[in-house]
Amino acid sequence: MTRDIALGQFIPGQSVIHRMDARVKNLLLIAFIVLIFCSFNFVSLGIITGAVIAVILLSDISVKMYLKSLKVIIVIILITSILNIFYGSGDPIVQFGIFKITLSGIYRAIFVTVRIICLILISSCLTFTTSPTDLTDAIERLMKPLKILHIKVHEIAMMMTIALRFVPTLLEETDKIMAAQKARGADMESGGMIKKIKAMTPVLIPLFVSAFRRAYELAVAMECRCYQGGDGRTRMKVLKIKKLDVACILVTVLVLAGVILCNIFFAAKI
Amino acid sequence: MSFISVEDVKFSYDEDKNYVLNGLNLKIEKGEFVALLGHNGCGKSTAAKLLNAMFLPDEGTVVVDNMITSDEKLTYEIRRNVGLVLQNPDNQLVASVIEEDVAFGPENLGVPPEEIRERVDKALRTVGMYEYRKHAPHKLSGGQKQRVAIAGILAMHPECVVFDEPTAMLDPSGRDEVMNTILRLKENGITVVLITHYMDEAVMADRVVVMDNGNILTVGTPREVFSQVHLLKKHSLDVPQATELIYKLSGAGLKFDEMPLNTEECVNFLEGVLK
Amino acid sequence: MSIIEVKNLSFTYGIGTPFEKKAVDDVSLCVNEGEVIGLIGHTGSGKSTFVQMLNGLIKPTSGQVLLEGKDIWEKSKEIRKICFKVGMVFQYPEYQLFDETVYKDISFGPRNKGLSEEEIDLTVRKAAKFVGLSDRLLNKSPFDLSGGEKRRAAIAGVIAMDPDVLVLDEPTAGLDPKGREVLLAQIMGYHKERKNTIFFVSHSMEDISRIADRVMVMNKGRLEMLDTPKNIFAQVEKIESMGLRVPQITKIMMTLRERGYDITDGVLTVEQAFSEIINLLEKEGKI
Repeated sequence: MTRDIALGQFIPGQSVIHRMDARVKNLLLIAFIVLIFCSFNFVSLGIITGAVIAVILLSDISVKMYLKSLKVIIVIILITSILNIFYGSGDPIVQFGIFKITLSGIYRAIFVTVRIICLILISSCLTFTTSPTDLTDAIERLMKPLKILHIKVHEIAMMMTIALRFVPTLLEETDKIMAAQKARGADMESGGMIKKIKAMTPVLIPLFVSAFRRAYELAVAMECRCYQGGDGRTRMKVLKIKKLDVACILVTVLVLAGVILCNIFFAAKI
Repeated sequence: MSFISVEDVKFSYDEDKNYVLNGLNLKIEKGEFVALLGHNGCGKSTAAKLLNAMFLPDEGTVVVDNMITSDEKLTYEIRRNVGLVLQNPDNQLVASVIEEDVAFGPENLGVPPEEIRERVDKALRTVGMYEYRKHAPHKLSGGQKQRVAIAGILAMHPECVVFDEPTAMLDPSGRDEVMNTILRLKENGITVVLITHYMDEAVMADRVVVMDNGNILTVGTPREVFSQVHLLKKHSLDVPQATELIYKLSGAGLKFDEMPLNTEECVNFLEGVLK
Repeated sequence: MSIIEVKNLSFTYGIGTPFEKKAVDDVSLCVNEGEVIGLIGHTGSGKSTFVQMLNGLIKPTSGQVLLEGKDIWEKSKEIRKICFKVGMVFQYPEYQLFDETVYKDISFGPRNKGLSEEEIDLTVRKAAKFVGLSDRLLNKSPFDLSGGEKRRAAIAGVIAMDPDVLVLDEPTAGLDPKGREVLLAQIMGYHKERKNTIFFVSHSMEDISRIADRVMVMNKGRLEMLDTPKNIFAQVEKIESMGLRVPQITKIMMTLRERGYDITDGVLTVEQAFSEIINLLEKEGKI
C-alpha cells in the first residue's frame, strides 16, 4: 500500500556524520560532488572513492541500506556504462560492425560508473544521517544570502516544513479514501491505463478537497499562533559550528588538495 | 473591567447582513472557566474567533485585557494573550517534530532562543508530553496531538486559552486526557473558554453560557443552567443523564433543592430520598 | 439462521518486520439475520481491522468469514462483490464524497454493482429518503451541503447498494447532540424497515445501549465479551478495566443496587431508571 513508500529516509543515530552540523554537511556534499566530477585519472578517482567509503563507514549505517539506494538506479548505471563503452574514440580493441570497443571507451565507462555510484552513495549518506527538519533548516540558512535576489527563502523553507509534516498524513488519508471507495465497489485494479486513471477520480477529488480544507485550517491555526512571515522571527535551534565540523572541513580540504595535485601530476585518462 | 468584554457584537460572513452573531454581550473574568454550549451554527465558533482578533465585529466591540481587537497594532499581542485551540488536532501542527512545533509560536514572537527552549520544555511538561518531544506528530494518538497543540499555545504565555470543540474528534480516553489538561490550565490561573457539545465537560466549568441563533439563551452556573432541562431540550441540547432522571422524577412530584449534575451527586440524592 | 459466521479470525500486521502486531486475535462469533450488533473497544483494540475483514477489504491472516455459509474468500477474484452484500460506512464518511451532485454520488455504489438505470434511480431515491435528504438536495453539489447533510449523503451512498449486512463505524462521531439524535433515529428507522443485520461501532455507550441487540467488546484484538447490552453493562468493573465506560445512568443505578436498594440489573435508559425509582418510591409510600 501507499504507506510502504519510505519518505525522508532518515535513520537516527549517534555517529560522527549524524552529529555534524547540517549546513556543513550540505556544503561538504557539494564539495564532494565537485570532486567526484573533477577527478580525471585513476589515482584521483581512487582517492575520492576511498573518501566516500570512509564517510559511509563512519556513518554507522548498514551497508545494506546503501546497496538498497543503489538498487533503484542500477538500470541507469548499466545503460550509461554500456553506452560509454561503445562511445570511445581511438583504435578499436574489438569491433562488431559499426560498434567498436576502444580503450578510451572502457575508461570512460569505468569513470562514469564509479562517479554515479559515488554520487548516489554520498547523497544517500546525507539523507540517511540528517533528519528532514534539519535538512530544511540548513537549506533555509544556507540560502539566506539569496534574499538579496528577492528569493523568498523563508517562505520556501516554510513550505518544505509543512510538506514534510503533511505527507504522512495525506498518505494515510489516501489509504482511508481508497478503502472507502473500494467498499462502494470501486474497481481500481482491473482494466487498462486509462480505465485505471479514471478509476482514481473518486480517490483524487476527495483527497484534493481534504488537502485544501487542511490548508485552510492550518492557515488559521498559524495565524492564531502569531505567524507573520519570516521577519522578526527567531529560531529555537541555534546552529553552532563545533570542533567536529571544523575537523571534517579540514579533512575534506585535504582530500580536495590531494585530488587537485593528482590531477596535475598524473596524466588524465578521460 | 472584565478580562474579556464583548459588547453588542454583530457579525456576518456576507454582505447581506445575515448576522451569525446578533448583538452578543458577554463578560469573562480573569481566571474563570467558561463553557460555551449550543448546537451547530449557533455562532459559538464565530464568537471564539472574535476573542483573538481572527475576526473583527461588524458592530460593537471586543475588548481583551484593555486592548480593543479592532486596533490593528494590537492584533498580535491579542493573539498571543488569547490562544485558540481548534477542533482537528492534525491540522494545527506545523512541524514534523513535536518540540519544534511547540516552538513555532514563540519563534513567531521573536523570543530569544534560550528562552524558547525553556518555554517549550515547560509547556510540554505541563501537558505531559515531554517524553515525546522528539517524536513525529502523525505517530501520536488524537488526544496526544491535541495536548501538543495546547502546549504550542501555552509556549506563547497566554493569559486565556479558547478551546473550539477540542474533544469532538477524540475517543473517550483522548477526551479525558484533554479535559484533565484543561483543568490543569485553570488551576494555573489561566482563563479558559471551552466550546463543547459534551455536557459532562460543561459541568466542570464555573459558568455555562448557552447560545442559540447568534445570541445568549441562558447563562449561569452549571447547576443553574442544567436545572432548566425543559429549555435545553426545547433547543435540542443534551443534559447529563443524571440530571435528566431527576428532572423526570421532579415531574412526578419529587422535590429537590439542588440539581445533581454527576453520578455521585445523583446517587447521593436518590439515596437521601429512598432512605 | 446465522447470516455471518466468523471462525477463529486473526490478522497480524507487518509479518516479519519489527512492527509485527496482532490486530485481531482468534475471534469467533455467529450473527443472526436482522440482528444489531454493537461493537465497542478502546482505540487500537482491533475493531476497525475486524470490521474491514467482514467485507473483504482486509484478508485475514488465518480464520474465516462465512457469509450465508460461504467463505467470502472462496473465490478470491470475486472478493469485490462481497462489499455489495456487506456494506461499510467508514468513520467520517463525508470525506469520501466526490461526484458533481449528491444524486450521482449516491449512485456510485449501485452503478458499480451493475444495476440498470431504473434500478439505480429507485434505490438512490429510497436511500436518500431513509436518511432524510430531500429531492432538492439531490441535485446540489455534495460540497455545498452542511456537515450533517454530508454525513447522511455518504451513508445513503452505502445504503443504496442495499447490503444484507451494514457496518457503521462511528456514524455519529463529531455531530452535535441534535444531529446525533436525528441520525440515530434514521438508522433505527432504516433497520426496522429493511430488517438487515447491522454492526454498529461506537464510543457512545448511550447509543449502543439504545440500538444494539447484542454487544461485542473487543480488547487487544480479542473478543472479550459478547452478550446483551444489559448483561454487558452490568459488569461495570470489567468494562472499566478495559478503558471503556458504561452509560452514566447504568452506573448510577448499579451503585444504588450495590448499596442495597431493590433495583434490576443493567438499567440502560433514563426511562427505565425513572420507572424503577418510581416503583421503589410507591412501594414505600413516599409518593
